[in-house]
Amino acid sequence: MAVKKDLSVEYLGVKCQNPFFLSSSPVGSNYEMVAKCFETGWGGVMYKTVGIFVADECSPRFDQTNKEGLPWVGFKNMEQISDKPTEVNFENMYKLMRDYPDHVMVASIMGSSEEEWKQLAKMCDELGCPLIEGNFSCPQMTSHAMGSDVGTNPELVKKYCEAVTSQTKIPFIAKMTPNITSMEVPARAALEGGAAGVSTINTIKSITNIDFENMTAMPVVNGKSSISGYSGAAVKPIALRFVTNLLQDEIVGKRDLSGIGGIETWRDAAEFLALGCKNLQVTTAIMQYGYRIVEDMASGLMHFMEERGYNKLDEFIGCALNNIVPAEDLNRDFKILPNFSDEKCLGCGRCYISCYDAAHQAIDWNAEKRRPELNDNCVGCHLCLNVCPVQECITPGEIKWKEGREHVDVALKHHYE
Amino acid sequence: MSKVVKANYTAEAVAGFTHRTAMEEAARCLLCHDAPCSKGCPAGTDPAKFIRSIRFRNDRGAAETIRENNILGGTCARVCPYDRLCEEACSRCGIDKPIEIGKLQRYAIEQEEAYGMKTLSAPEKKVGNVACVGAGPASLAVAAELAKAGYNVTILEREAKAGGVLTYGIVPSRLPQAVVDHDIAQVEGLGVKFQFNTEVKAADLDAYDAVFVGAGLWADNLPKIDGIELDGVYAAVDFLKEARTKAEGFNPGKKVLVVGGGDVAVDCAVSAKLLGAEDVKIVYRRTLEEAPGNMTEFHYALSLGIGMTTGMAPAAVKGNGKVEAVEFKGFRDEAAELTLSADTIVFATGQKAEDMAAVAGVKVTDKGTIAADDAGATDVEKIFAAGDIVNGGKTVVEAVAAGKVAAASMIAYLEKKGVK
Repeated sequence: MAVKKDLSVEYLGVKCQNPFFLSSSPVGSNYEMVAKCFETGWGGVMYKTVGIFVADECSPRFDQTNKEGLPWVGFKNMEQISDKPTEVNFENMYKLMRDYPDHVMVASIMGSSEEEWKQLAKMCDELGCPLIEGNFSCPQMTSHAMGSDVGTNPELVKKYCEAVTSQTKIPFIAKMTPNITSMEVPARAALEGGAAGVSTINTIKSITNIDFENMTAMPVVNGKSSISGYSGAAVKPIALRFVTNLLQDEIVGKRDLSGIGGIETWRDAAEFLALGCKNLQVTTAIMQYGYRIVEDMASGLMHFMEERGYNKLDEFIGCALNNIVPAEDLNRDFKILPNFSDEKCLGCGRCYISCYDAAHQAIDWNAEKRRPELNDNCVGCHLCLNVCPVQECITPGEIKWKEGREHVDVALKHHYE
Repeated sequence: MSKVVKANYTAEAVAGFTHRTAMEEAARCLLCHDAPCSKGCPAGTDPAKFIRSIRFRNDRGAAETIRENNILGGTCARVCPYDRLCEEACSRCGIDKPIEIGKLQRYAIEQEEAYGMKTLSAPEKKVGNVACVGAGPASLAVAAELAKAGYNVTILEREAKAGGVLTYGIVPSRLPQAVVDHDIAQVEGLGVKFQFNTEVKAADLDAYDAVFVGAGLWADNLPKIDGIELDGVYAAVDFLKEARTKAEGFNPGKKVLVVGGGDVAVDCAVSAKLLGAEDVKIVYRRTLEEAPGNMTEFHYALSLGIGMTTGMAPAAVKGNGKVEAVEFKGFRDEAAELTLSADTIVFATGQKAEDMAAVAGVKVTDKGTIAADDAGATDVEKIFAAGDIVNGGKTVVEAVAAGKVAAASMIAYLEKKGVK
């Protein structure tokens, strides 16, 4: 029998059957798409951002980065908010809420003035959706009164949050832009303006590739291109960093956070949850693979919970957050030498090359046996372990203490994938 | 029912890589230090370097590495016994399966062609006068090296086209003519002259400062058994040449038997099958483990529906004017007997040297091959030799390798003689 675990979670007071939501993007643009995603198993949707402004899009509008034949390491998107009339979008959201009452509809909105934000908030209030997300972070708007140009300005964020929350009691989520040094500042401003919580990250301003045919960036629009948002697996580390910053903030960290950025698998999802996110949003992986990816996200997460003995997501949400500490608080009294498996080693010499060219010349190369041999130069950096192509060939070995330092029990990582 | 592959005689059987699939394959490469694959190539093609180039988005650089090291890079990409050379040495074997080095080499050379690259160059002003006898792999390698070093080179070829065994002795579904022609175009691009339909006699060579003999092995080696004179009995060289020359116009017969266990035997069987034979069998006297042929080629033959019988050697060909049946006896198993009806039997049991004393006036071995040392020197100071005519019949890549060594000896000789 397939493993069954309760994936439900309460996010900003709203009961969600699972934490997997579509982020506000092309993947949730109309009735049919959202209906299909709900039926595939997504817990909710941030419906494609609605404004008074109706987007006029360019063609083409996407690009992707790849590495060594692996496509979609990262993804670039030039699409703005919805290109459908505002009323049509509200009509769609209404029908979806009527037809799928067990799923969570989040109206994503974006105004270009206080008046527009108020107007949109009022429309959401009439709709009666359980949550509203304010898009303060789209980096490719054709108007500078909207998107990430607003999200990097804490005064405007606060003002527009106040505009929305003055019109409705529906909990309001402010979606943050990563195109900023300290996200805590606009996040706090959003809460001061009445937002119930924040979500992060939106896409990162990027140039993915330069096209040599037209001598411009990708995608090529009539020989020209623009800076626009980058997403997908490549941005997950940046997303996790901002999530950590916000959750460790004494004010923002007290509120429920929705995590976004490069989530493709149950593992990615579990990472955001382990940091403390109560909700997860996905787009890029859906653009590449479709809604069906939620099946393995749910199943994989259930198996993880089974293995770890968790019955509820709340039992492990946030459990990794306090183990991320400032660099000055790390124990620096020891080094862990790498252990080389003679049996598993293929003799490729990659550890030798990397150690010599990029670390501490701590590996001698036995050319006859085609095997690495560790010498006394090793500082325990584990570059060799990271570069070795064979699973569990190089593993953490002996612990060496720096002279005169106190010996304590060392928590180790044993298994590398 | 088993599924048999339908293929075409002239269309290449194996699909190549695209940019994307080449990148995927190159990404599997471990990029070894002091890479075993590069040590595994007799011709020094340096797969570790060209795969790294592909991995780092430098297809042109990859083509350059191959072409500079191996003038027959496109050809070798198809006919090399990779599973016994670079791919056998590949460290990735320890994880799953080796990198498809041959296919990556093919990809790089295809890019060379697509980009219209001219990788090699030779000095415009050339000196001396060197002849290469035969336009096969060894001669082509020698001619390219000498032309690059600034010598005038003329290739004297008996046939109407260059390539030798590449053009006349391999099934085009394995080695398309266009691939051979592209490789040969690189040699021509260096200013090497080709003189076709030219039978060489020893006296013709007096006019040259130095001579390379890469004549190959083209004499039949038919067993002395009853019925060998019947119509429908072929030596592999003649069978393949006729197939290659007439292509779809060649009738191989309905029931074809091929005797032998090398790649040539497989090529004969595949040619017969692809040119319309209904029933094709390969009969080999030893075991498959002992067979010199490439396992990939046996697999391919099998996929076409070609059968294989081992342990049986031909004893007599039966028929009235033309082949009707062939009798086999166990090679080691004395109890074994087998009679197969056939209208064609091809002997792919090796070729012999022609009269090299007449062609070049050099000392020959008791097998008729030219007596030359590892550096390609013969008993006549200005005559050098390498390839099948010296080693008794090995691979294309070994002929290229030996040709490169012989060319270096020839350059040293010419410089010593003041021809520089």
